[in-house]
Amino acid sequence: MTLKEALKLSPEEIAQVREALAQKIAQSDLNAYVALDMAGSGIPIAIKDNIQVQGWSVTSGSKILKGYIAPYNATVIEKLHAAGLSPFGRTNMDEFAMGSTTESSCYGRTLNPHNKGCVPGGSSGGSAAAVAGGLAIAALGSDTGGSIRQPAAFCGIVGLKPTYGRVSRYGLGAYASSLDQIGPMTQNVEDAALLYDIICGHDPKDSTSADIAYAPTAPNLSANRKLTVAILPKYVEGASEAVRAGYTKAISALKAAGHTIVERELLDPKYDISAYYITATAEATTNLARYDGIRYGARVEGDNLKDTFIRTRSEGFGDEVKRRIMLGNFVLSSGYYDAYYVKAQKVRQLIKHEYETIFQEVDLILSPVAPSTAYPFGALEDPLTMYLSDIYTISVNLAGLPSIALPVDRDAQGLPVGMQLIGRAYDEQTVLDGAYSLELQLKTQE
Amino acid sequence: MQVDDTLLSKLENLSYLKVSDDKRAEIIAQMDKMIAFVDNLSELDTSRIEGSFAMSDTATRLREDTPFCDTRINDDILMHAPRSDEHFFIVPKIIE
Repeated sequence: MTLKEALKLSPEEIAQVREALAQKIAQSDLNAYVALDMAGSGIPIAIKDNIQVQGWSVTSGSKILKGYIAPYNATVIEKLHAAGLSPFGRTNMDEFAMGSTTESSCYGRTLNPHNKGCVPGGSSGGSAAAVAGGLAIAALGSDTGGSIRQPAAFCGIVGLKPTYGRVSRYGLGAYASSLDQIGPMTQNVEDAALLYDIICGHDPKDSTSADIAYAPTAPNLSANRKLTVAILPKYVEGASEAVRAGYTKAISALKAAGHTIVERELLDPKYDISAYYITATAEATTNLARYDGIRYGARVEGDNLKDTFIRTRSEGFGDEVKRRIMLGNFVLSSGYYDAYYVKAQKVRQLIKHEYETIFQEVDLILSPVAPSTAYPFGALEDPLTMYLSDIYTISVNLAGLPSIALPVDRDAQGLPVGMQLIGRAYDEQTVLDGAYSLELQLKTQE
Repeated sequence: MQVDDTLLSKLENLSYLKVSDDKRAEIIAQMDKMIAFVDNLSELDTSRIEGSFAMSDTATRLREDTPFCDTRINDDILMHAPRSDEHFFIVPKIIE
């Protein structure tokens, strides 16, 4: 059942859907959910474990937040309630959203519904697996460097990262505040538009929330607009054969749907990786300083206050989180700040400007989401190898742009291949229209 | 830039973290690799670009500083805090 269909149900029918879903979740071995918490009785929506739902133990997949109970609702949760939708189940994620596989969660790994030996992607791997595995009508995820789009691609669903500022971050467990955005993870493009319309909007509680006009996208969704789409032949050279084949297939479908294709180039993505990991770890270091075991979560008592901080954090955080906190402290520390942090902010401006220049002439950019399809568990154990797997997603966060991931193909093993359409800032309508057109065109070709 | 045990100790201090002895060599090697990688930014000429970045060109909006106090939230937080008593968080002894 899609979200569009669910929105037409009576309260009695919704109650039946909730019951059936709860049973299905209980029988599933995907480990998409870490707990089947519920709030309200509306249309069930799965919630990533870093979005505050009042009364839920929201833990960001970390041991350090065990025992914490959220005392308030995130703005997106208030908006769900107001629209007759209800938080239904906490979904698994990489600890503090730092990962691309969901393997770093303190609740263990989530399995990819298409191949249980493969990762579902991350960090919103639980939300993606829940939607793809038929265990959720739709879900919310968060995207700091690809954490909605990459698991959506690996699990064969649709994931939208809105423009930075479109969706309130109030109540989102912060990883990197200048990059984080909450977004919908759904079965199709139309549902993504519907759920995006429900959660977006200006919020005085988030000082980075955009105070501009918000026109609903779903009622205006159109597959008939003829758009100019940039493709990046050089940029995709590093992707796997299956991803390159998916790229070619998506280009043909866009052409067949009447869109104009033009070729463009982007900066070598190795610079995106550097600018991203410097920025994200610096911000994470600051955001994660609040986890000290004093006010919430788990505490490990030490001999004195400082010892309590150290023991709590050393035992509470996993290895990847520790690495990123220390890397962040490195790039912010005296003597290295200008060479790393300030330099990365300058490069970020280069990247943003590069996109702005391309968007003077085109409506959308077509890009792969990940360099490969879902890989087996353990394949990205080396941290740098994992960081390099983010090459196609992170520049979008650095520039604050909207982007939608959608499935376009399958590889030889039957695993989904996803592509993303990137748009101008605040132009979610065109991103959704382009994706809707591509989705319909691919369906007619089947 | 070479990461060594002295730098790791400094970063542990700044981070309020302790890396166990059996993991030190591994984490030094990993951080060394990462920092060597991000050094690629020095290949880009950024001499004409300002050092600050903002997503939006407009300044953060100001709002009225209206007092707001919902004591229920305080109670909820204290109820689930690791250690609390009579509206206080209990911490290890600070002053000897």
